[in-house]
Amino acid sequence: MSATAPIVTVNGRPVSLREVPGDERLLDTLRWRLGLRGTKEGCRSGECGACTVLVDGAARLSCLSLSRDLEGTTVTTVEAVGDDPLGRTVQEAFAEEGALQCGYCTPGFVMALTGALRERGRSATSAELTADLAGNLCRCTGYASIVRAVERARSRSR
Amino acid sequence: MTPVELVAPATETEALEELARGPAGSRAIVAGGTDLLFDLQGARPGPTHLVSLRRLPWRTHAWEAGGLRVGATEPLRTLEADPRLGQELPALAQAIAAVGSPALRRQATLGGNLGRSAPASDLAPALLALDAEVELVGRAGARRMSVDRFLRSSRSTALLAGELVRSVRLPEARPRSAYLWQRVRPANDISQIGLAVAFAPSPGLWRVALGGVPPRPVLAPDAARELAGDRPAAREIASAAERLAAHPALVSDRRATEEHRRRLAAVLCTRAIRTAVGEPRDPP
Ligand SMILES: Cc1cc2nc3c(=O)[nH]c(=O)nc-3n(C[C@H](O)[C@H](O)[C@H](O)COP(=O)(O)OP(=O)(O)OC[C@H]3O[C@@H](n4cnc5c(N)ncnc54)[C@H](O)[C@@H]3O)c2cc1C
Ligand code: FES
Ligand code: FES
Repeated sequence: MSATAPIVTVNGRPVSLREVPGDERLLDTLRWRLGLRGTKEGCRSGECGACTVLVDGAARLSCLSLSRDLEGTTVTTVEAVGDDPLGRTVQEAFAEEGALQCGYCTPGFVMALTGALRERGRSATSAELTADLAGNLCRCTGYASIVRAVERARSRSR
Repeated sequence: MTPVELVAPATETEALEELARGPAGSRAIVAGGTDLLFDLQGARPGPTHLVSLRRLPWRTHAWEAGGLRVGATEPLRTLEADPRLGQELPALAQAIAAVGSPALRRQATLGGNLGRSAPASDLAPALLALDAEVELVGRAGARRMSVDRFLRSSRSTALLAGELVRSVRLPEARPRSAYLWQRVRPANDISQIGLAVAFAPSPGLWRVALGGVPPRPVLAPDAARELAGDRPAAREIASAAERLAAHPALVSDRRATEEHRRRLAAVLCTRAIRTAVGEPRDPP
C-alpha cells in the first residue's frame, strides 16, 4: 500500500517486509527468515508465552502477531535484550537464581519480565510482576525459582 | 499458490471499500488477531486478503455524558489501565482482567471479542449486564443496536457482510456491578461459567447475565427480578441465585456438567451481588 518498502526494526536492524506473506507470523519471520532461534515456539496458539518478544518495548506474543501488521515497529528478541541494562538485569537474575532447567521457557519469561518492569516502572510490586507472567508456562521449575528471580530483578532494577 | 496479502487501510471509507472487493470470503478482518490467527489455521480455502484495522482511528476510549465509548480496536490492556474503569464499571474491568494473559490483552480488542462471538466470552456477559450498545458501520451507513441483539450464536452476529464494529458504548457508570468466573486455571483457560451483575440506578433495576453457555451469553431477567433496590436483602439474593441455577442455558459440555454449572451459577450469583454492593463476598 505504501510507496516505500515496509520495514520492521529487529534488534536494531531494519528488515524489509516486502517478501513476507501477509499471513506470516512474527515467530516464523524471526526463527526461519532471520535465523533468530532464541524465540521459542511452544503452543503456537497464545497459551504458553514461550514466543514472547518486545514490540516497542512491550511484551507481545510473536505466535499471534502478523509480521506485516507490525510495520514501523521495533522488535527486540532475547538475542538483543541483554544490550539494554534492564534486560541484562533480568537475564542475570534468572541465571543467579538458577530459575531454569531445560530453559525452553526462559527467553519468554525474560522478555515478559523485562516488558513488565519497563511498563510498571519503579513502583512495581512483586505481586504485580508475577501476575504479569501469568501467560508464561514452565514445565520444569515449579516456578519457585522464577518467583525469586522476579524479586531479584525487581530489587536490582530500582 | 499466491501469498496472502495484508492491507492496512488508513480510513474507514478505504477499509469498507476493501472489504467489498473480491468474492465472498476473500477478505478477513484482523484487529488484534488473537482469535483470527487460530481460526486461519484450519480455514480452507482461506482468505486471500487480510484487512488490518490497525491504522483506523479507533484505538481510543473516552468518558462522555456519564458513560464510556470504546473504539473497536482499543487494546483491552489500555482500557484496563484506566483507573476510572474499575471505579465506574467494575464488571467490565473484572471481565477484561479475566481474558487470557497480560500479553494477550495488549493485542486483544473489544471489537474482536464481539466479532468472534464465543459462547465463553468473558466480556459479553459484562457488556450485557451493563446494557452496552454496539455501533456498526458499513457502506450503507452506521447503525446501533444492543449487544443483546448483536450476538446471535457461536461465531454469528448481526454484522452484515462488509460491516465493521466501530465502537461500543456503555450508557452510564454502574459502580454496583461485578463479574466473576470459574475455570480450571486463572490465566489462558476458558470459563466454565461467567457471571455478571449490575445495578442500573435510573430505573433502579438489576441485570444478571450468564456466560460460558451455548450458543451465546444471555441475560437472566427472572433472576434479576428477584432483586429490589441498590442493597438487596439476603432473602432476595438467595431467590435470585435459585432462579439463576434453574436457567435453561445451563447444560453439560466437555468443560463442565450441567449439575456443576447450576451449582456454580448459584454460588457465583450470591458472591457477585455481594461484591457489587461492597459486602464480603461470602455471607458470615
Ligand atoms: C490463549 C488465548 C486465551 C484467550 N482467553 C480468553 C478469555 O479468557 N476470555 C475471552 O473472552 N476471550 C479469550 N480469548 C479470545 C480472544 O483473545 C478475544 O476474543 C479477543 O478479544 C479477540 O480480539 P482480537 O482483537 O484479537 O480479535 P481478532 O482475532 O482480530 O478478530 C476476531 C474476529 O472478529 C472479527 N473482527 C475483529 N474486529 C472486528 C471489528 N471491529 N468489526 C467486525 N469484526 C471484527 C475478525 O474478523 C475475527 O473474525 C483468548 C484467546 C487466546 C488465543
Ligand atoms: S508459542 Fe506463542 S504463546 Fe505458545
Ligand atoms: S525450564 Fe523447562 S520449561 Fe521452564
